[in-house]
Amino acid sequence: MAEIELKTAPADFCFPSANQTRHCFTRYIEYHKCLKAKGEDAADCQKFARYYRSLCPLEWIEKWNEQKESGTFPAPL
Amino acid sequence: MIESQRHSYHLVDPSPWPISGSLGALATTVGGVMYMHPFQGGATLLSLGLIFILYTMFVWWRDVLRESTLEGHHTKAVQLGPRYGSILFIVSEVMFLFAFFWASSHSSLAPTVEIGGIWPPKGIGVLDPREIPFLNTPILPSSGAAVTWAHHAILAGKEKRAVYALVATVSLALVSTGFQGMEYYQAPSTISDSIYGSTFFSATGFHGFHVIIGTLFLIICGIRQYLGHLTKEHHVGFEAAAWYWHFVDVVRLFPFVSIYWWGGI
Repeated sequence: MAEIELKTAPADFCFPSANQTRHCFTRYIEYHKCLKAKGEDAADCQKFARYYRSLCPLEWIEKWNEQKESGTFPAPL
Repeated sequence: MIESQRHSYHLVDPSPWPISGSLGALATTVGGVMYMHPFQGGATLLSLGLIFILYTMFVWWRDVLRESTLEGHHTKAVQLGPRYGSILFIVSEVMFLFAFFWASSHSSLAPTVEIGGIWPPKGIGVLDPREIPFLNTPILPSSGAAVTWAHHAILAGKEKRAVYALVATVSLALVSTGFQGMEYYQAPSTISDSIYGSTFFSATGFHGFHVIIGTLFLIICGIRQYLGHLTKEHHVGFEAAAWYWHFVDVVRLFPFVSIYWWGGI
């Protein structure tokens, strides 16, 4: 059986405590800023995508994606 | 009357105002709760209660003026009561407003992800602090200076000048309230617009309410001064109004800097 490599987002000293909400949000925004800067298919941005997908609950990701589509996402991107 | 008692304290006559004030407070609170829930008659009871409380304040304080100025019961010892009472009341008001400023700081210093982690939240129209707020910021302290002028006039026995100074104080206050009202009227956001609106309007709204109460207090002092109630040595009511006014005025500076100026950029 091949070794399955399990990884998650690295611990970030900016977000030291148990509540990682802002960490998740920051990675989500970073990913989208990266896409905007480097173009839709940049491979470098996939790193951020993996981070936010590990940290954020699916419900939040879905809600934010919907907000982005309808133009009501609250943060500047 | 006061010559026949062998102590310098004031034992008040029985009065109906405490109970009427309590009944007014009961009506206000019950009416308020009824109004905010689907019960009939809530609005009526709430307004009746508020009117009753205002009436009680008027007649109670009228009695205090009668007992002190006209009947002479307020010796130095008795005056300490209202003095300390006013100071403690002002301290309690400071605590009250502090709560609203805390709320404002809590929401604005670390804005939540639900509003995008930014302040002011996206889409909220903020008032330019360099317009009306900046204009009002010198007007209220000038009014505070005018009240100090009035105080010095009273202490120097210059009664007419004190009346003029109080008129100046009140006019400045009314002008600043007028500007603030205009600003609220044409503000781009309302109290229901996100946490920004809630904290902004509740903090500035309560401050404004205190300015109006202070103005009313000063108008009454002006009337009393005109009628000759206040003397050089004895004018506790005026001093209480002046302290209250300085409190209102100093408090104005904090929201200007933290809410209008810092919170808008």
